[in-house]
Amino acid sequence: MELGQREEEEEEEDQRQLTLIQNLKATVHYTVGSMCQEAADAKGVRFTKPAIAAISEVTFRQCEHFAKDLEMFARHAKRSTINMEDVKLLARRSSSLLNYITEKSEEISRINQEQKDKKKKKTEGGNKKSSKQAVTEMDIDD
Amino acid sequence: MEEDGPNFRKELVNKLLFLHFKDDRCKVSADALQLMVEMLKIFVREAAARAIRQAQAEDQDKVDIEQFEKVLPQLLLDF
Repeated sequence: MELGQREEEEEEEDQRQLTLIQNLKATVHYTVGSMCQEAADAKGVRFTKPAIAAISEVTFRQCEHFAKDLEMFARHAKRSTINMEDVKLLARRSSSLLNYITEKSEEISRINQEQKDKKKKKTEGGNKKSSKQAVTEMDIDD
Repeated sequence: MEEDGPNFRKELVNKLLFLHFKDDRCKVSADALQLMVEMLKIFVREAAARAIRQAQAEDQDKVDIEQFEKVLPQLLLDF
């Protein structure tokens, strides 16, 4: 009796997981579709529906590799939180991709730092800026 | 930071990553998530651009699965 119930619960859980995956796939498909459309319009060509479906399927599967790699990188650094260094390591295979991702990471940390500074100014009034912290954080990138 | 053109939403990328984590305690920092959005955008844009270039090399005005298949191996090697 109990075993049957547990099986039923597991089945329900599997079903839920399946719907989640389907929903995520649909959303990825939509995003990939509009991104491809944009690229195609600029070049005066068009994508067939199967082509877009293939690209979104590949993207979805690539996410699995990304997620597993990131998890491993963080664990290797004895962390449980994935940070930007892990993402940079993910882009190691192509040097131009690595350059781009490094640039973006600098941009993101600069924007975040600025927002932090703004908040500080609001809360503490005329305190001195602590912009040196951002520099020490980025030293590892070179 | 908000850019022109369609892009992945952070919530979506977050869910996609968490779907495949083996350890439930694993977390993603906000800036890392932002960088992952960028990473996926480049992946899709690169896939589209290479497929378009392949189609143009074959003198076609529509990009079919066949063209994407040809650029797929190198795409996966680059990411």
